[in-house]
Amino acid sequence: MTARRSIQGQLITAVIVSQLLLAGGLAALSMYSLRRQLRTAFDAGLQGRSMSIAALVRYSEDEPSKLMFDGELAPRPLDAKHPDAYKVYSSDGKFSAQSPNWKERFDRQTPRQFWHVTIGGTSYRAVRMAALPVLDSEGAGTPAPPTLTVIYAAPTEEMDELYASAGLYLGIGSLVLLAVTAGLALWGIRRGLFPLQALANSAASVSPVNWELQVSEEAQTTAELGPLTQAMTSMLRSLQKAFTQQREFLTNAAHELKTPVAILKSTLQSLLHRPRRSEEYRAGIEKALEDMARLEKLLHSMLRLARAEQWAMGNLQRDLPEIELGTTCQSAMERLQPFADMRGVKLEFANNGPVRMRADTEDLELVWANLLENAVRYSPAGETVRITVTNDEAGARVAVEDRGPGIPKEEVAKIFDRFHRGDQSRTRDTGGYGLGLAIANAIVETYGGTICVEATGEEGTTMAVRFSRKPLADSC
Amino acid sequence: MRVLIIEDEVRLAENIAEVLRESGGYAVDIVFDGEEGLYMAESNPYDLILLDLMLPRMDGITVLQKLRGGDMDVPVLVLTARDEKEMIVTVLNAGADDYVTKPFDLGELLARAKALIRRGKGQRSPVLRVGDIEINTADHSVRRAGTLVSLLGMEYRVLEYMAHRPNTVVSKTELLEHLYDFNWERFSNVIEVYISGLRRKLDEGGSEKLIQTLRGQGYMIKR
Repeated sequence: MTARRSIQGQLITAVIVSQLLLAGGLAALSMYSLRRQLRTAFDAGLQGRSMSIAALVRYSEDEPSKLMFDGELAPRPLDAKHPDAYKVYSSDGKFSAQSPNWKERFDRQTPRQFWHVTIGGTSYRAVRMAALPVLDSEGAGTPAPPTLTVIYAAPTEEMDELYASAGLYLGIGSLVLLAVTAGLALWGIRRGLFPLQALANSAASVSPVNWELQVSEEAQTTAELGPLTQAMTSMLRSLQKAFTQQREFLTNAAHELKTPVAILKSTLQSLLHRPRRSEEYRAGIEKALEDMARLEKLLHSMLRLARAEQWAMGNLQRDLPEIELGTTCQSAMERLQPFADMRGVKLEFANNGPVRMRADTEDLELVWANLLENAVRYSPAGETVRITVTNDEAGARVAVEDRGPGIPKEEVAKIFDRFHRGDQSRTRDTGGYGLGLAIANAIVETYGGTICVEATGEEGTTMAVRFSRKPLADSC
Repeated sequence: MRVLIIEDEVRLAENIAEVLRESGGYAVDIVFDGEEGLYMAESNPYDLILLDLMLPRMDGITVLQKLRGGDMDVPVLVLTARDEKEMIVTVLNAGADDYVTKPFDLGELLARAKALIRRGKGQRSPVLRVGDIEINTADHSVRRAGTLVSLLGMEYRVLEYMAHRPNTVVSKTELLEHLYDFNWERFSNVIEVYISGLRRKLDEGGSEKLIQTLRGQGYMIKR
């Protein structure tokens, strides 16, 4: 079994990944800004201390031009283990003082004002403050008093610790938030998928007995499920139609078979109900064979109809040869000629040029033969039945005209129904089973054509089949 | 007994008619559509009607309703290809006495037809008794005082028809109407020939005359 994709899993993964990205980005930004702020504050502190170191430089009372440094007044170190280190010297090079822990390595020869240096495993940040004036006013008399340069370094351990713990809190906070929102997302998604489950349940309750898809209100009001429920409903509708059609066909067929079977049975039983002479038995068996032939014809027609309807419904693409429409009409006419002769009806054919289309010859011949048979059956003796092929921009049209009594209004809509029999066709001599026009209809549909009663009245009936080039609005 | 078959399947109707004529000794008329069937049923005194449902021009149910609406109480046996409960209920409610579904057995149809004719005459047993005469309508045997009497087909039919109506005057016309269908010649003296045949065979050895002639009116069997 292949692993199944879970929409829920995918959604949750997407949510968690995007939250992780968001949290990571936010944390990085906050850490960066925190670091900048801490540095700025630290640097300001460094600068302040440098200034206060410079303030401790004053002129000697004995030699007014000599500078001295009062180291005892220097600010007390914040970190006893790693005290700050500093050095102060004058621009004229005559004066220089430093803290006891000063090492030349603190001073990095760099044009930058601030720098980092690591000494004895401790990292320091240092500042160079140049051109600071000597604040002592006693030496004010001397021309161009020298300026002072202070280099001050302080350990950054405290700042680093602060920074690290801030990072830790931020990380833990983000993770907790992430867990909470992921849980919320999981719950929300589960809840959001409820209507899908409800829809699945209602789909499961659909059966050949109950075709109605009961869409719950939740599923109805869920926008994402709209296309799905619509597709399901329309699929069910077409399935139901096909199913009902099949079942109807089966019922009709079984029902229609009863009569010929009853006839055959009655023929055999009436033959058997008393002793007979051998000629009578012979005649009886011949009758039974005739009944059998009718039964066979009905079975054949039903199968033909079932096949045509299947094609029409399935829109089957068959590999079809190109044929000429008029030729199929003429073949059908030849087939019907003996029947027409028997009824004393003339057959006529006319066309306005060849029409070629892709079709099965046998199919089309059957359509024309069924239409012609019908027309001949209703025509009074001596009349003519015409079959005409016309071809224009709109498409091809084959019309069969008779001079019969016309079809009653209420019958017109029903004549293409299976097993429908007009009154006349059920009289003694016709023996039709009401399948001919249904078969013709189904075959024409297979080829994307339409069949209809174009005109009917006392002067006769015109049945027409159209194969349009462009899909037309109902041409009937 | 005269039976009307309203059935549009010619072969089926003819087969039924043949069996009814040969085995039941009935006079049978056949019509192929509902309208003509209704007309025939209303204008002739039938003892039974066999009615198909799917008929041209007027369907069987309508024929039945019109018959019953017109106070015709002739027994009707419906022949139907539909065996759904609803259909059967409709058929019986429309006034049918019985039904058979296609494809049916001709023997069963005949038995049902006989039973309906009997019941139509208010009789349940297949054996009719008039005086010391026993008429078995199932096998058409006739006994007088226990002795089997051999009768011609038409003689039997005249006797059975009259035995159904004891103490009632039955005219020659009535006998003709019930014993002959439209395909047969009607000659009133045919009846006289059968009556005299019956008298000869039944009164032989009997003390009482069975069939009485009422001049100008007809014949009567006394109980």
